Amino acid sequence: MTKPPHTNATRRKNEPLLKFESVSKYYGKTLALRDASFCVNRNEVVCIIGPSGSGKSTILRCATGLETIDAGQIVFGGLTVHAENTDLRLLRQRMGMVYQSFELFPHLTVIRNVALALVVVRTMNKNAALIRSEEMLERVGLIEKANEYPANLSGGQQQRVAIARALAMEPDLMLFDEPTSALDPETIGEVLTVMKRLAEEGMTMVVVTHEMDFARRVADWVVVFDEGTVIEQGPPKQIFDAPAVARTKGFLSHLGWHDDTESESNNSQ
Amino acid sequence: MNLDWSVVWDHRRQFLDGALMTILLTVVTMSLALPGGLLLALLRLSPLRPVRLCATAFVEFFRATPLILQIYWAFYVLPATFDIRLPDFATGVIGLSLNVSAFNSETFRAGIISVRQGQTNAGLALGLSKTQVFIYIILPQAIMRVLPALANTWVSLFKDTSLVSTIAIAELSYVSLQIRARTFRFLEMLTAMAAIYWIMGYPQAKLADWIHRRFKVQE
Repeated sequence: MTKPPHTNATRRKNEPLLKFESVSKYYGKTLALRDASFCVNRNEVVCIIGPSGSGKSTILRCATGLETIDAGQIVFGGLTVHAENTDLRLLRQRMGMVYQSFELFPHLTVIRNVALALVVVRTMNKNAALIRSEEMLERVGLIEKANEYPANLSGGQQQRVAIARALAMEPDLMLFDEPTSALDPETIGEVLTVMKRLAEEGMTMVVVTHEMDFARRVADWVVVFDEGTVIEQGPPKQIFDAPAVARTKGFLSHLGWHDDTESESNNSQ
Repeated sequence: MNLDWSVVWDHRRQFLDGALMTILLTVVTMSLALPGGLLLALLRLSPLRPVRLCATAFVEFFRATPLILQIYWAFYVLPATFDIRLPDFATGVIGLSLNVSAFNSETFRAGIISVRQGQTNAGLALGLSKTQVFIYIILPQAIMRVLPALANTWVSLFKDTSLVSTIAIAELSYVSLQIRARTFRFLEMLTAMAAIYWIMGYPQAKLADWIHRRFKVQE
Protein backbone atom coordinates (compact mmCIF):
# COMPACT_ATOMS: atom_id res chain seq x y z
CA MET A 1 0.00 0.00 0.00
CA THR A 2 3.05 2.28 0.08
CA LYS A 3 2.49 5.11 -2.26
CA PRO A 4 5.25 7.05 -3.93
CA PRO A 5 6.17 10.29 -2.17
CA HIS A 6 4.92 12.58 -4.90
CA THR A 7 1.45 11.27 -5.54
CA ASN A 8 0.06 14.73 -5.14
CA ALA A 9 1.36 15.48 -8.61
CA THR A 10 -0.62 12.64 -10.14
CA ARG A 11 -4.24 12.79 -11.30
CA ARG A 12 -6.92 12.52 -8.67
CA LYS A 13 -8.59 9.12 -8.36
CA ASN A 14 -12.31 9.02 -8.12
CA GLU A 15 -13.19 6.71 -5.26
CA PRO A 16 -15.02 8.91 -2.78
CA LEU A 17 -14.90 7.73 0.83
CA LEU A 18 -16.20 10.90 2.44
CA LYS A 19 -18.32 13.44 0.63
CA PHE A 20 -19.62 16.79 1.84
CA GLU A 21 -22.53 17.94 -0.29
CA SER A 22 -23.72 21.53 0.16
CA VAL A 23 -23.42 21.34 3.95
CA SER A 24 -24.86 24.27 5.91
CA LYS A 25 -25.03 24.73 9.63
CA TYR A 26 -26.15 27.44 12.02
CA TYR A 27 -25.35 28.01 15.67
CA GLY A 28 -28.51 29.82 16.62
CA LYS A 29 -28.57 32.57 14.03
CA THR A 30 -24.85 32.51 13.37
CA LEU A 31 -23.89 30.84 10.15
CA ALA A 32 -21.15 28.26 10.76
CA LEU A 33 -21.12 26.47 7.41
CA ARG A 34 -22.62 27.60 4.13
CA ASP A 35 -23.08 25.31 1.19
CA ALA A 36 -19.72 23.60 1.74
CA SER A 37 -18.88 20.82 -0.72
CA PHE A 38 -15.79 18.72 -1.18
CA CYS A 39 -14.83 15.12 -1.42
CA VAL A 40 -12.18 12.84 0.08
CA ASN A 41 -11.12 9.86 -2.00
CA ARG A 42 -9.79 6.62 -0.63
CA ASN A 43 -6.03 6.68 0.19
CA GLU A 44 -5.97 10.41 -0.24
CA VAL A 45 -4.77 13.18 2.09
CA VAL A 46 -6.99 16.24 2.07
CA CYS A 47 -5.82 19.30 3.96
CA ILE A 48 -8.29 21.97 5.00
CA ILE A 49 -6.78 25.40 5.45
CA GLY A 50 -8.22 28.82 6.12
CA PRO A 51 -8.44 31.53 8.76
CA SER A 52 -9.55 30.83 12.34
CA GLY A 53 -13.30 30.59 12.74
CA SER A 54 -13.86 29.75 9.09
CA GLY A 55 -15.65 26.46 9.84
CA LYS A 56 -12.78 24.01 9.29
CA SER A 57 -13.07 22.28 12.64
CA THR A 58 -16.86 22.46 12.59
CA ILE A 59 -17.08 20.46 9.40
CA LEU A 60 -14.90 17.70 10.90
CA ARG A 61 -17.17 17.48 13.93
CA CYS A 62 -20.15 17.27 11.59
CA ALA A 63 -18.49 14.38 9.75
CA THR A 64 -18.39 12.35 12.98
CA GLY A 65 -22.04 13.13 13.67
CA LEU A 66 -21.12 14.93 16.91
CA GLU A 67 -22.71 18.03 15.39
CA THR A 68 -25.95 18.23 13.48
CA ILE A 69 -26.24 19.97 10.14
CA ASP A 70 -29.08 22.12 8.86
CA ALA A 71 -28.85 21.49 5.13
CA GLY A 72 -27.02 19.30 2.65
CA GLN A 73 -25.57 15.91 3.50
CA ILE A 74 -22.37 14.13 4.45
CA VAL A 75 -21.84 10.66 3.03
CA PHE A 76 -19.22 8.32 4.47
CA GLY A 77 -18.61 4.98 2.80
CA GLY A 78 -22.13 4.99 1.34
CA LEU A 79 -23.79 5.94 4.65
CA THR A 80 -25.48 9.28 5.12
CA VAL A 81 -24.07 10.49 8.45
CA HIS A 82 -27.11 12.46 9.59
CA ALA A 83 -29.76 10.04 8.34
CA GLU A 84 -32.08 8.92 11.10
CA ASN A 85 -31.29 5.22 10.77
CA THR A 86 -27.51 5.62 10.67
CA ASP A 87 -25.77 3.88 13.56
CA LEU A 88 -23.38 6.62 14.57
CA ARG A 89 -21.48 4.35 16.94
CA LEU A 90 -20.59 1.97 14.12
CA LEU A 91 -19.77 4.85 11.83
CA ARG A 92 -17.46 6.47 14.38
CA GLN A 93 -15.56 3.23 14.85
CA ARG A 94 -14.53 3.53 11.21
CA MET A 95 -13.31 7.11 11.63
CA GLY A 96 -10.36 8.00 13.83
CA MET A 97 -10.41 11.46 15.34
CA VAL A 98 -7.42 13.41 16.62
CA TYR A 99 -7.99 16.65 18.50
CA GLN A 100 -5.96 19.81 18.93
CA SER A 101 -6.05 19.27 22.72
CA PHE A 102 -5.23 15.50 22.47
CA GLU A 103 -8.04 14.50 24.84
CA LEU A 104 -6.17 11.53 26.25
CA PHE A 105 -7.89 10.03 29.27
CA PRO A 106 -5.79 11.31 32.19
CA HIS A 107 -6.82 8.57 34.61
CA LEU A 108 -5.52 5.79 32.35
CA THR A 109 -1.97 4.85 31.43
CA VAL A 110 -0.87 5.33 27.85
CA ILE A 111 -1.47 1.72 26.88
CA ARG A 112 -4.88 1.66 28.58
CA ASN A 113 -5.82 4.79 26.66
CA VAL A 114 -5.16 2.88 23.46
CA ALA A 115 -6.79 -0.33 24.66
CA LEU A 116 -9.98 1.13 26.18
CA ALA A 117 -12.14 1.24 23.06
CA LEU A 118 -10.82 -2.15 21.90
CA VAL A 119 -12.07 -3.73 25.10
CA VAL A 120 -15.24 -1.71 25.62
CA VAL A 121 -16.40 -1.17 22.05
CA ARG A 122 -14.81 -4.07 20.15
CA THR A 123 -15.19 -6.41 23.16
CA MET A 124 -11.72 -7.79 22.53
CA ASN A 125 -10.27 -9.76 25.40
CA LYS A 126 -7.87 -7.77 27.51
CA ASN A 127 -4.69 -9.50 26.44
CA ALA A 128 -5.42 -9.24 22.74
CA ALA A 129 -6.28 -5.57 23.21
CA LEU A 130 -3.02 -4.90 25.03
CA ILE A 131 -1.03 -6.69 22.33
CA ARG A 132 -2.70 -4.63 19.61
CA SER A 133 -2.13 -1.48 21.67
CA GLU A 134 1.56 -2.27 21.97
CA GLU A 135 1.76 -2.60 18.20
CA MET A 136 0.11 0.78 17.80
CA LEU A 137 2.47 2.43 20.29
CA GLU A 138 5.35 0.81 18.42
CA ARG A 139 4.03 2.45 15.28
CA VAL A 140 4.15 5.94 16.77
CA GLY A 141 7.47 5.22 18.51
CA LEU A 142 6.22 5.36 22.10
CA ILE A 143 6.30 1.79 23.32
CA GLU A 144 8.65 2.78 26.14
CA LYS A 145 5.96 5.12 27.53
CA ALA A 146 3.28 2.42 27.63
CA ASN A 147 2.89 2.47 31.41
CA GLU A 148 3.24 6.22 31.95
CA TYR A 149 0.29 8.49 32.60
CA PRO A 150 -0.45 11.11 29.93
CA ALA A 151 0.47 13.95 32.32
CA ASN A 152 4.09 12.73 32.25
CA LEU A 153 4.36 13.03 28.47
CA SER A 154 5.24 16.02 26.33
CA GLY A 155 2.54 17.47 24.10
CA GLY A 156 4.02 15.84 21.02
CA GLN A 157 4.13 12.47 22.73
CA GLN A 158 0.55 12.86 23.92
CA GLN A 159 -0.59 13.62 20.42
CA ARG A 160 1.21 10.55 19.08
CA VAL A 161 -0.59 8.46 21.70
CA ALA A 162 -3.87 10.01 20.54
CA ILE A 163 -3.01 8.95 17.01
CA ALA A 164 -2.19 5.41 18.20
CA ARG A 165 -5.48 5.30 20.09
CA ALA A 166 -7.40 6.19 16.93
CA LEU A 167 -5.38 3.79 14.75
CA ALA A 168 -6.05 0.88 17.11
CA MET A 169 -9.65 0.81 15.93
CA GLU A 170 -8.37 0.26 12.36
CA PRO A 171 -10.37 3.13 10.92
CA ASP A 172 -10.95 3.66 7.20
CA LEU A 173 -10.36 7.34 7.66
CA MET A 174 -8.45 9.59 10.05
CA LEU A 175 -9.64 13.09 10.88
CA PHE A 176 -7.13 15.51 12.36
CA ASP A 177 -8.39 18.74 13.90
CA GLU A 178 -5.39 21.09 14.07
CA PRO A 179 -3.23 18.32 15.53
CA THR A 180 -0.17 20.51 16.04
CA SER A 181 -1.73 23.83 17.00
CA ALA A 182 -1.42 23.28 20.75
CA LEU A 183 2.15 21.98 20.57
CA ASP A 184 5.47 23.55 21.40
CA PRO A 185 7.38 24.26 18.19
CA GLU A 186 10.01 21.62 19.01
CA THR A 187 7.49 18.79 19.23
CA ILE A 188 5.46 19.65 16.12
CA GLY A 189 7.92 17.81 13.90
CA GLU A 190 7.55 14.41 15.56
CA VAL A 191 3.77 14.52 15.13
CA LEU A 192 3.97 15.61 11.50
CA THR A 193 6.48 12.81 10.84
CA VAL A 194 4.04 10.22 12.17
CA MET A 195 1.28 11.73 10.04
CA LYS A 196 3.48 11.74 6.94
CA ARG A 197 4.28 8.07 7.49
CA LEU A 198 0.57 7.30 7.79
CA ALA A 199 -0.05 9.11 4.53
CA GLU A 200 2.68 7.09 2.84
CA GLU A 201 1.06 3.90 4.12
CA GLY A 202 -2.05 4.91 2.24
CA MET A 203 -4.27 6.03 5.13
CA THR A 204 -7.10 8.27 4.03
CA MET A 205 -6.73 11.48 5.99
CA VAL A 206 -8.50 14.79 6.42
CA VAL A 207 -6.27 17.30 8.15
CA VAL A 208 -7.34 20.72 9.35
CA THR A 209 -4.03 22.49 9.68
CA HIS A 210 -2.08 25.70 9.75
CA GLU A 211 1.10 23.85 8.77
CA MET A 212 1.28 25.09 5.19
CA ASP A 213 4.51 23.25 4.58
CA PHE A 214 2.85 19.96 5.54
CA ALA A 215 -0.17 20.71 3.37
CA ARG A 216 1.99 21.60 0.40
CA ARG A 217 4.14 18.46 0.65
CA VAL A 218 1.75 15.78 1.84
CA ALA A 219 -1.73 16.74 0.66
CA ASP A 220 -3.23 15.36 -2.53
CA TRP A 221 -5.95 17.95 -2.37
CA VAL A 222 -6.26 21.23 -0.52
CA VAL A 223 -9.56 22.81 0.48
CA VAL A 224 -9.59 26.48 1.44
CA PHE A 225 -12.29 27.60 3.88
CA ASP A 226 -13.41 31.11 4.60
CA GLU A 227 -16.55 32.32 6.35
CA GLY A 228 -18.02 28.82 6.57
CA THR A 229 -17.63 27.83 2.98
CA VAL A 230 -15.15 26.42 0.48
CA ILE A 231 -13.72 29.32 -1.45
CA GLU A 232 -11.23 27.30 -3.45
CA GLN A 233 -9.97 23.74 -3.76
CA GLY A 234 -7.42 21.95 -5.86
CA PRO A 235 -4.08 20.19 -5.86
CA PRO A 236 -1.55 21.83 -3.51
CA LYS A 237 0.61 23.12 -6.31
CA GLN A 238 -2.27 25.10 -7.70
CA ILE A 239 -3.46 26.42 -4.34
CA PHE A 240 -0.05 27.44 -3.05
CA ASP A 241 1.64 28.54 -6.25
CA ALA A 242 -1.21 29.96 -8.25
CA PRO A 243 -4.31 30.55 -6.13
CA ALA A 244 -7.19 31.70 -8.26
CA VAL A 245 -9.20 33.38 -5.53
CA ALA A 246 -8.14 36.71 -4.07
CA ARG A 247 -9.05 35.69 -0.49
CA THR A 248 -6.84 32.59 -0.74
CA LYS A 249 -3.98 34.79 -1.82
CA GLY A 250 -4.73 37.15 1.03
CA PHE A 251 -4.82 34.32 3.57
CA LEU A 252 -1.56 32.78 2.38
CA SER A 253 0.32 36.04 2.28
CA HIS A 254 -1.11 36.90 5.70
CA LEU A 255 0.42 33.66 7.03
CA GLY A 256 3.71 34.59 5.41
CA TRP A 257 3.60 37.85 7.22
CA HIS A 258 2.63 36.53 10.60
CA ASP A 259 4.36 33.17 10.86
CA ASP A 260 5.33 33.74 14.49
CA THR A 261 1.96 34.75 15.89
CA GLU A 262 0.17 32.05 13.96
CA SER A 263 -0.15 29.41 16.68
CA GLU A 264 -1.41 31.96 19.16
CA SER A 265 -4.35 33.02 17.05
CA ASN A 266 -5.22 29.35 16.38
CA ASN A 267 -5.72 28.64 20.02
CA SER A 268 -8.44 31.21 20.36
CA GLN A 269 -10.57 29.41 17.83
CA MET B 1 -12.64 20.34 92.81
CA ASN B 2 -12.41 16.69 93.42
CA LEU B 3 -11.72 14.70 90.28
CA ASP B 4 -12.12 10.98 90.10
CA TRP B 5 -10.83 9.54 86.83
CA SER B 6 -11.38 5.96 87.92
CA VAL B 7 -15.01 6.39 86.91
CA VAL B 8 -13.88 6.54 83.29
CA TRP B 9 -11.92 3.30 83.56
CA ASP B 10 -14.79 1.61 85.35
CA HIS B 11 -17.04 2.30 82.38
CA ARG B 12 -14.50 1.34 79.71
CA ARG B 13 -16.77 -1.41 78.42
CA GLN B 14 -19.64 1.04 77.75
CA PHE B 15 -17.28 3.55 76.16
CA LEU B 16 -15.93 0.85 73.86
CA ASP B 17 -19.44 -0.20 72.82
CA GLY B 18 -20.39 3.44 72.25
CA ALA B 19 -17.30 4.06 70.14
CA LEU B 20 -17.99 0.94 68.08
CA MET B 21 -21.56 2.10 67.52
CA THR B 22 -20.28 5.50 66.36
CA ILE B 23 -17.98 3.79 63.86
CA LEU B 24 -20.74 1.45 62.72
CA LEU B 25 -23.13 4.38 62.16
CA THR B 26 -20.51 6.24 60.16
CA VAL B 27 -19.62 3.28 57.97
CA VAL B 28 -23.21 2.20 57.31
CA THR B 29 -24.35 5.76 56.63
CA MET B 30 -21.53 6.46 54.20
CA SER B 31 -21.96 3.20 52.36
CA LEU B 32 -25.57 4.20 51.72
CA ALA B 33 -24.85 7.86 51.08
CA LEU B 34 -22.19 7.30 48.41
CA PRO B 35 -24.44 5.43 45.96
CA GLY B 36 -27.34 7.62 47.12
CA GLY B 37 -25.40 10.77 46.38
CA LEU B 38 -24.30 9.50 43.00
CA LEU B 39 -27.85 8.54 42.10
CA LEU B 40 -29.14 11.99 43.12
CA ALA B 41 -26.36 13.66 41.14
CA LEU B 42 -27.34 11.66 38.04
CA LEU B 43 -31.01 12.55 38.54
CA ARG B 44 -30.06 16.21 38.80
CA LEU B 45 -28.18 15.93 35.51
CA SER B 46 -31.07 14.13 33.83
CA PRO B 47 -32.35 15.57 30.55
CA LEU B 48 -35.91 15.18 31.91
CA ARG B 49 -37.02 18.33 33.66
CA PRO B 50 -39.45 16.78 36.19
CA VAL B 51 -36.78 14.30 37.30
CA ARG B 52 -34.28 17.13 37.66
CA LEU B 53 -36.73 19.23 39.66
CA CYS B 54 -37.61 16.44 42.11
CA ALA B 55 -33.97 15.64 42.77
CA THR B 56 -33.13 19.32 43.21
CA ALA B 57 -36.02 19.81 45.65
CA PHE B 58 -34.85 16.80 47.67
CA VAL B 59 -31.26 17.97 47.81
CA GLU B 60 -32.12 21.54 48.65
CA PHE B 61 -34.48 20.45 51.42
CA PHE B 62 -31.89 18.29 53.14
CA ARG B 63 -29.09 20.78 52.65
CA ALA B 64 -31.01 23.71 54.07
CA THR B 65 -32.61 22.19 57.18
CA PRO B 66 -30.81 21.12 60.35
CA LEU B 67 -29.74 17.52 60.56
CA ILE B 68 -31.18 17.17 64.05
CA LEU B 69 -34.58 18.17 62.73
CA GLN B 70 -34.33 15.51 60.01
CA ILE B 71 -33.47 12.91 62.63
CA TYR B 72 -36.43 13.94 64.79
CA TRP B 73 -38.62 13.86 61.73
CA ALA B 74 -37.59 10.30 60.95
CA PHE B 75 -38.09 9.37 64.59
CA TYR B 76 -41.46 11.02 65.32
CA VAL B 77 -43.19 11.90 62.05
CA LEU B 78 -42.58 8.72 60.08
CA PRO B 79 -44.21 6.46 62.69
CA ALA B 80 -47.00 8.91 63.61
CA THR B 81 -47.98 9.98 60.11
CA PHE B 82 -47.06 7.11 57.84
CA ASP B 83 -47.19 4.32 60.39
CA ILE B 84 -43.65 3.31 59.50
CA ARG B 85 -41.98 1.85 62.57
CA LEU B 86 -38.31 1.01 62.32
CA PRO B 87 -35.71 0.05 64.89
CA ASP B 88 -33.90 3.08 66.35
CA PHE B 89 -30.66 2.20 64.58
CA ALA B 90 -32.39 2.09 61.18
CA THR B 91 -34.14 5.39 61.90
CA GLY B 92 -30.84 7.03 62.77
CA VAL B 93 -29.14 5.65 59.68
CA ILE B 94 -32.01 6.83 57.46
CA GLY B 95 -31.87 10.36 58.88
CA LEU B 96 -28.11 10.55 58.53
CA SER B 97 -27.85 8.98 55.11
CA LEU B 98 -30.57 11.11 53.52
CA ASN B 99 -28.73 14.17 54.72
CA VAL B 100 -25.27 13.00 53.69
CA SER B 101 -26.62 11.76 50.33
CA ALA B 102 -27.81 15.29 49.62
CA PHE B 103 -24.36 16.69 50.34
CA ASN B 104 -22.58 13.93 48.42
CA SER B 105 -24.81 14.53 45.41
CA GLU B 106 -23.59 18.11 45.19
CA THR B 107 -20.03 16.90 45.45
CA PHE B 108 -20.47 14.27 42.73
CA ARG B 109 -22.33 16.68 40.51
CA ALA B 110 -19.54 19.24 40.73
CA GLY B 111 -17.01 16.52 39.91
CA ILE B 112 -18.94 15.24 36.91
CA ILE B 113 -19.47 18.72 35.48
CA SER B 114 -15.79 19.56 35.93
CA VAL B 115 -14.69 16.94 33.39
CA ARG B 116 -14.47 18.87 30.15
CA GLN B 117 -16.67 18.17 27.14
CA GLY B 118 -13.69 17.18 25.00
CA GLN B 119 -13.32 13.98 27.03
CA THR B 120 -16.89 12.99 26.21
CA ASN B 121 -16.36 13.80 22.56
CA ALA B 122 -13.16 11.78 22.44
CA GLY B 123 -14.98 8.80 23.94
CA LEU B 124 -17.94 9.10 21.57
CA ALA B 125 -15.58 9.46 18.61
CA LEU B 126 -14.03 6.11 19.56
CA GLY B 127 -17.47 4.53 19.28
CA LEU B 128 -18.35 4.32 22.98
CA SER B 129 -22.00 4.78 23.95
CA LYS B 130 -22.96 7.65 26.26
CA THR B 131 -23.28 5.23 29.17
CA GLN B 132 -19.86 3.72 28.45
CA VAL B 133 -18.34 7.19 28.23
CA PHE B 134 -19.80 7.97 31.63
CA ILE B 135 -18.65 4.75 33.29
CA TYR B 136 -15.17 4.45 31.81
CA ILE B 137 -14.16 8.06 31.22
CA ILE B 138 -16.18 10.63 33.15
CA LEU B 139 -16.95 8.91 36.46
CA PRO B 140 -13.40 7.75 37.33
CA GLN B 141 -12.07 11.26 36.73
CA ALA B 142 -14.93 12.84 38.67
CA ILE B 143 -14.37 10.54 41.66
CA MET B 144 -10.64 11.27 41.77
CA ARG B 145 -11.38 14.97 41.77
CA VAL B 146 -13.96 14.83 44.56
CA LEU B 147 -12.19 12.37 46.88
CA PRO B 148 -10.87 15.20 49.08
CA ALA B 149 -14.37 16.66 49.45
CA LEU B 150 -15.80 13.22 50.23
CA ALA B 151 -13.10 12.71 52.85
CA ASN B 152 -14.15 15.97 54.51
CA THR B 153 -17.77 14.87 54.51
CA TRP B 154 -16.68 11.61 56.12
CA VAL B 155 -14.96 13.44 58.97
CA SER B 156 -18.00 15.68 59.51
CA LEU B 157 -20.29 12.67 59.45
CA PHE B 158 -18.18 10.90 62.04
CA LYS B 159 -18.81 13.75 64.45
CA ASP B 160 -22.41 14.35 63.40
CA THR B 161 -23.36 10.81 64.36
CA SER B 162 -23.47 12.23 67.90
CA LEU B 163 -26.80 13.83 66.93
CA VAL B 164 -28.56 10.47 66.89
CA SER B 165 -27.95 10.28 70.65
CA THR B 166 -31.13 12.37 70.78
CA ILE B 167 -33.14 9.34 69.68
CA ALA B 168 -31.48 7.04 72.18
CA ILE B 169 -29.04 5.21 69.94
CA ALA B 170 -26.25 4.05 72.20
CA GLU B 171 -23.31 5.59 70.37
CA LEU B 172 -20.43 7.33 72.08
CA SER B 173 -22.22 10.59 73.02
CA TYR B 174 -25.31 8.86 74.30
CA VAL B 175 -23.30 6.44 76.39
CA SER B 176 -21.10 9.17 77.87
CA LEU B 177 -24.07 11.36 78.73
CA GLN B 178 -25.86 8.43 80.30
CA ILE B 179 -22.94 7.61 82.54
CA ARG B 180 -22.61 11.26 83.43
CA ALA B 181 -26.26 11.37 84.45
CA ARG B 182 -25.85 8.30 86.59
CA THR B 183 -22.54 9.21 88.27
CA PHE B 184 -22.75 13.03 88.23
CA ARG B 185 -19.12 12.96 87.06
CA PHE B 186 -19.78 15.41 84.23
CA LEU B 187 -16.29 16.88 83.96
CA GLU B 188 -14.59 13.49 83.78
CA MET B 189 -17.17 12.10 81.41
CA LEU B 190 -17.19 15.04 79.01
CA THR B 191 -13.40 15.09 78.99
CA ALA B 192 -13.23 11.38 78.32
CA MET B 193 -15.80 11.74 75.57
CA ALA B 194 -13.81 14.55 73.95
CA ALA B 195 -10.60 12.53 74.21
CA ILE B 196 -12.13 9.45 72.60
CA TYR B 197 -13.66 11.46 69.76
CA TRP B 198 -10.34 13.17 69.20
CA ILE B 199 -8.30 9.97 69.25
CA MET B 200 -10.59 8.48 66.63
CA GLY B 201 -11.20 11.65 64.64
CA TYR B 202 -7.68 13.01 64.39
CA PRO B 203 -6.26 10.19 62.22
CA GLN B 204 -9.27 10.54 59.94
CA ALA B 205 -8.69 14.26 59.57
CA LYS B 206 -5.02 13.58 58.82
CA LEU B 207 -6.01 10.95 56.28
CA ALA B 208 -8.33 13.49 54.65
CA ASP B 209 -5.43 15.95 54.46
CA TRP B 210 -3.29 13.31 52.81
CA ILE B 211 -6.04 12.57 50.30
CA HIS B 212 -6.20 16.31 49.56
CA ARG B 213 -2.52 16.35 48.70
CA ARG B 214 -2.53 13.07 46.83
CA PHE B 215 -5.53 13.78 44.59
CA LYS B 216 -5.05 17.45 43.97
CA VAL B 217 -6.36 18.23 40.48
CA GLN B 218 -3.41 18.58 38.18
CA GLU B 219 -4.02 19.69 34.65
